[in-house]
Amino acid sequence: MATTDDRPAIPDTRPSTPAPSKPVRRDTRLWTWLLLPGTLWMTGFLVASLVLVATLAFGTTDPLGNPRFGLNTDNFAALAEPAYRTVLLRSLGYALITCVICLAIAYPVAYAIALRGGRFKNLLIAAIVIPFFANYLVRMYGWSVVLSDDGPLLKALRALGIADAGTRILQTGPGVIAGLVYGFVVFMIIPLYAAMERMDTSLIEAGRDLYGGPLRTFFFVTVPATRQGAAAGCVLVFLPAMGDFVSAQLMGGPDQIMIGNLIQDKFFQGQNWPLGSALTMLLMAVLFLGLLGYLRRARQDEAEAVR
Amino acid sequence: MTGKTAPARRTPARRRAATRRPRFAIAVTVLFFALLYLPVGVVVLFSFNARKSLTVFDGASLRWYRAFFRDDLLLDSLGMSLQVSFVAMAGSLLLGVALALGLVRNRGRLGSLAGLVMLVPLITPEIVTGVAAMLLFKGTGIPLSTTTVMLAEITFSISYVTVILRSRIAALNPETEEAAMDLGATRRQALRLVTLPALLPSILASAVLIFALVFDDFVLAYFTTGVDPQPLSVRIYSAIRFGVQPTINAVGTLMLAGSIALIALALAIPRLFGRRGGLDLLSGE
Repeated sequence: MATTDDRPAIPDTRPSTPAPSKPVRRDTRLWTWLLLPGTLWMTGFLVASLVLVATLAFGTTDPLGNPRFGLNTDNFAALAEPAYRTVLLRSLGYALITCVICLAIAYPVAYAIALRGGRFKNLLIAAIVIPFFANYLVRMYGWSVVLSDDGPLLKALRALGIADAGTRILQTGPGVIAGLVYGFVVFMIIPLYAAMERMDTSLIEAGRDLYGGPLRTFFFVTVPATRQGAAAGCVLVFLPAMGDFVSAQLMGGPDQIMIGNLIQDKFFQGQNWPLGSALTMLLMAVLFLGLLGYLRRARQDEAEAVR
Repeated sequence: MTGKTAPARRTPARRRAATRRPRFAIAVTVLFFALLYLPVGVVVLFSFNARKSLTVFDGASLRWYRAFFRDDLLLDSLGMSLQVSFVAMAGSLLLGVALALGLVRNRGRLGSLAGLVMLVPLITPEIVTGVAAMLLFKGTGIPLSTTTVMLAEITFSISYVTVILRSRIAALNPETEEAAMDLGATRRQALRLVTLPALLPSILASAVLIFALVFDDFVLAYFTTGVDPQPLSVRIYSAIRFGVQPTINAVGTLMLAGSIALIALALAIPRLFGRRGGLDLLSGE
């Protein structure tokens, strides 16, 4: 977000005696008063609660399973155990594959709508966005019915001879990824669509004029011109995919659990809140690293654009 | 957070010349739409099924809708979800509109701090905010109940209200406010009589949007709700996990219809006021 500095360009050399505040400045207190309630609320609830999670991650449980605050790193040491490491790596893998598949879906869809949508563009985009505002669980449940062993998708694939009687989608890794893709693909389509709308189509024309085939033009012209949209989409998909636990629960089995399922388990069934907090911090750390990488790239891009 | 996309000097003729019919992209798009709507269609279809099966459709009936309206537990949940959505909408609007105004106009240190705090929910996965809210309530000895769900949902929704309204406020012409003050209005009067009316369509649209988002929210509600009553989303979750009853299809269909109506309303409100732009839902963020 561009913050245009609209303060007057007067050097900050204030007179030694404070000048009487001008009438225009007098009322800026109103803006402060407007800011305060929301900021206090957010700090009191959100920031405080996140600090609580971070603190409890260093705590322990007493013999009754009640959380105790403390200062030890046992929980983090426990996370290094193979069982947890597998789940973390699996979650990372699932989330990354989800990003790639979302890119593969969103590029053609955004391209077709942005360049060939004509006057139906807004309608088509609305038709994509609206179902995503419908209840997440109902959508995921419907998707799990579609993917189920005698659901319409496998029936169709069997009829086409692509799948045989034993092929399953539910209870497998691809099933979980299918759930994540269905859940979050809209977050890839919207930024990509916006980027394609902004793109100068004469670039594609130029690519074609220079005898680039459709594929070459796409990969050497369209993709570079829209890569900021793609990067934003990847972040928007990666964040919720990494923390999701519904997809693994509905589409996967015990061998497909993700870090979100572990967190849920530690807070509900397992009753080990400190370990759950440590897992939550780990999740946050991974996402924070991803976000940082994205911001650095974005800043580099911006710097290049200025040059 | 891009503004409007300017379809600069791209005439249809030029565009057609630039790209030949991208058959592959169109095929993927058609397939995508089919798969996007198939699950929704399945839920709607089987909500009218006369039998209990989830795979074989056997005649239309309304028995699952009747079953829903006779189920006191589900009706309680519906009532609670409506209550929570309403309170969260009102609370987050009150705090969020003020915060957005303050953020645009106050460029001091407090403003940038508030801007930072406001971004936290948008870059934190819901499971983290959910866990954190639950720990906060348990840690301070507040028993989980309808109230805790409301508090958590308000916190989460403030960011949405602020993000939506912030760009709208920034787009307003500050001179109208100054003109009002030149004509003798105090800053507060100018805000109430000039700025807020100009923002009304966006405020209403985000109100509808927040209502729908909170009503459909699952993760945050799941971590912050007490045992009885539970929000509708949480009930649906337990129902899906422990053997599906077809009643869930009926509930799901009603919820789908409700959210679609609300989102369509949120998109239509700015147009009803005869102004361009309200929610930037369609131009991406």
